[in-house]
Amino acid sequence: MLRDIIKKEIQDTIMSPRFVFTFLLCTILILLSVYTGINNYQAELKEHSAAVALNRKNLEGQQSYGTLAGLGTKINRRPQVLSTVVSGIWEAVGRVAVVNIAYDPSMIDSKYSSNPIFAVFGSLDLTFIVKIVLSLFAILFTYDAIVGEKERGTLKLALSNRVPRDTLILGKAIGGFVSLLIPLIIPLVLGLLILMIYPNISLSGGDWLRIGIICLLFLLYLSVFFTLGLFISARTTRSSTSFLILLFIWVTFVTIIPKAAVMMAGQIKPIPSVHKITAQKDAYLQEIQKEAMTEYKKFSDENPRPGKDKPEERERWNEKYKEWAEDFQRRLTGKIDEKNAAIERDYQAKMRQQQKLAVNLSRVSPASALMFSTMSLARTGVDEHERFLNSVKMYKPIFTKWINEKMMRSLNLSGGEQPKPDLSDMPQHEFMPERFGESMTRVLPDLFLMVFLIILFFVGAYVSFLRYDVR
Amino acid sequence: MLEAKDLTKKYEDGLLALDHLNFKVEPGEIFCMFGANGAGKTTAINLFLGFIPPTEGTALIEEIDVVKEPLKSKDYVSFVSENVMLYGNFTAYQNLDYFSKLAGKRNLTKAEYAHVMKRVGLQEEAFDMRTKNFSKGMRQKLGIAVAILKDAPNLILDEPTSGLDPKSGQEFLDLIIELRDKGKSIFISSHDIFRAKQIADRVGFMLQGKLVMMKTKKELKGEDLNKLYIDYMQEHSGAE
Repeated sequence: MLRDIIKKEIQDTIMSPRFVFTFLLCTILILLSVYTGINNYQAELKEHSAAVALNRKNLEGQQSYGTLAGLGTKINRRPQVLSTVVSGIWEAVGRVAVVNIAYDPSMIDSKYSSNPIFAVFGSLDLTFIVKIVLSLFAILFTYDAIVGEKERGTLKLALSNRVPRDTLILGKAIGGFVSLLIPLIIPLVLGLLILMIYPNISLSGGDWLRIGIICLLFLLYLSVFFTLGLFISARTTRSSTSFLILLFIWVTFVTIIPKAAVMMAGQIKPIPSVHKITAQKDAYLQEIQKEAMTEYKKFSDENPRPGKDKPEERERWNEKYKEWAEDFQRRLTGKIDEKNAAIERDYQAKMRQQQKLAVNLSRVSPASALMFSTMSLARTGVDEHERFLNSVKMYKPIFTKWINEKMMRSLNLSGGEQPKPDLSDMPQHEFMPERFGESMTRVLPDLFLMVFLIILFFVGAYVSFLRYDVR
Repeated sequence: MLEAKDLTKKYEDGLLALDHLNFKVEPGEIFCMFGANGAGKTTAINLFLGFIPPTEGTALIEEIDVVKEPLKSKDYVSFVSENVMLYGNFTAYQNLDYFSKLAGKRNLTKAEYAHVMKRVGLQEEAFDMRTKNFSKGMRQKLGIAVAILKDAPNLILDEPTSGLDPKSGQEFLDLIIELRDKGKSIFISSHDIFRAKQIADRVGFMLQGKLVMMKTKKELKGEDLNKLYIDYMQEHSGAE
């Protein structure tokens, strides 16, 4: 009997106009999103290669280590291949970090800053389609699953037979869910096939594993809304009421909770503004500059430069000055770096606390759970961004040490020509994308949350239906 | 056989919808229950189908208590509602197939479905039509086809002829008579005194949850059932 109910449910849905509409729309949107994702990724990859080459050329073109120190080097982040399915925050936070001796590195040149119109609408990636469009369809498929049958009178007719209610609700749940999966699975498989055969897109085994889990998360997310629809449908006596309640919950879950969570976290755990942090750093820099002037004056007073008539003494003085300047520069930049790092550490700690609170508050919504988990898996989320930025920040003192040494050793106090920079021993920035195990550690809470909501809503629907007034 | 023994239903809001109802429908008998809206006819049907529990008394189907053995009792009863609504996206065949399977009738052939549909008067071209395009009369016929295929010894019909045109109504009644002649116990709740009196072996008048009068076909001979009903109702309404 269960099989008959499941079969009926699938047939009834498949033959309905809403299924045809859903299927067509899903196919178009999913294939379009994969196609645009691939194109964006390839364009980003091209841009990345060009930016890396240009940076190298710029560095090589510098006339001295001094100008190189001021200009710094640009660290271009390589686009993630899984941004084809989950674009994440990468387009908003910037693709390049400038590392020089003066400032703390930060990400610049985001896609949104170069073309603000993208920021208005965001990107149409697979996560967006599942999060917004398919979750709405899940509601559309279930809002009248029970109450609609009651209104039509078919529930009464079915239950006038030897049909246990638990079998009926189970059959409806399984059949309805399978019907909902068809418009997702078929275009999704087609989209992944495109991803597989498209030239210049190379996905490793690990990437496929991540895609597999992303797809599992999509299924869980849709199941949350599906079981929620079933639950509300089994708690109401009119399908219009059921639809309105579900729409309200959907809006709350998808748009209100995530935004409200960020705002609440900002109120509960405020962080100083970026301007305040910059002002603190600038103030310290000015202090250091004053100190530098005093120390230089002291050195000059204690070690007057010999006149031009004493070339040997003058040469010795030059050597001594170089040594002092190199040591002095090292101490100063060390101090600046230390102070900046302390300010930054404090700021980062506060920011992390705020972010953690915002993430945990917003996790009440399955939409947030989906966003966080898929971005973690695609390595396009906040955590990966922070990891990259931290790797750049760790690289900065290494670069600074190298450039300071080069700069001081190449000082030509006689006013002659400065040597051209030699980049052969310049330390390179290295970044290891997050490993699968680490990503999964972050994904598991969201996965369990979705499973919990599914169980909660399904049990709610089940119990409600056992007591449902079919009249 | 259908039997109500002191069947009582009091809702949570205090409304006494059914007050110690007693009746029995024997095999090969049609029992028509009349009454105004809210008189308790549909409540009685809901109690027999186990959709609501009784406050007191028992509803028996083939001597099976519907509260104690709800699923078993349903094997012995077919139900046709006032407004048969099937799955609109399904054809007549598909609807019959699904509901027959729910009734435990498996392995029925398309020819058997077609035979029953012809028997209830559905045109052949309607067999493959989606039922959302059916008229009310066609849906009622398909509803009775579902009941015929279940082949239960008892049949409960809730306002089965309401909204049917005279021809469809008559065809429907002919089918009910045919089923009665095959030994089914048939319980009909109705407002349609004119049609019901043509087929009823016994009639009962319901008023505010009580079965206030019961007459056999023999007792009704020569009486104007319509007038009797109106007079009786007016008299008892005044007395309340």
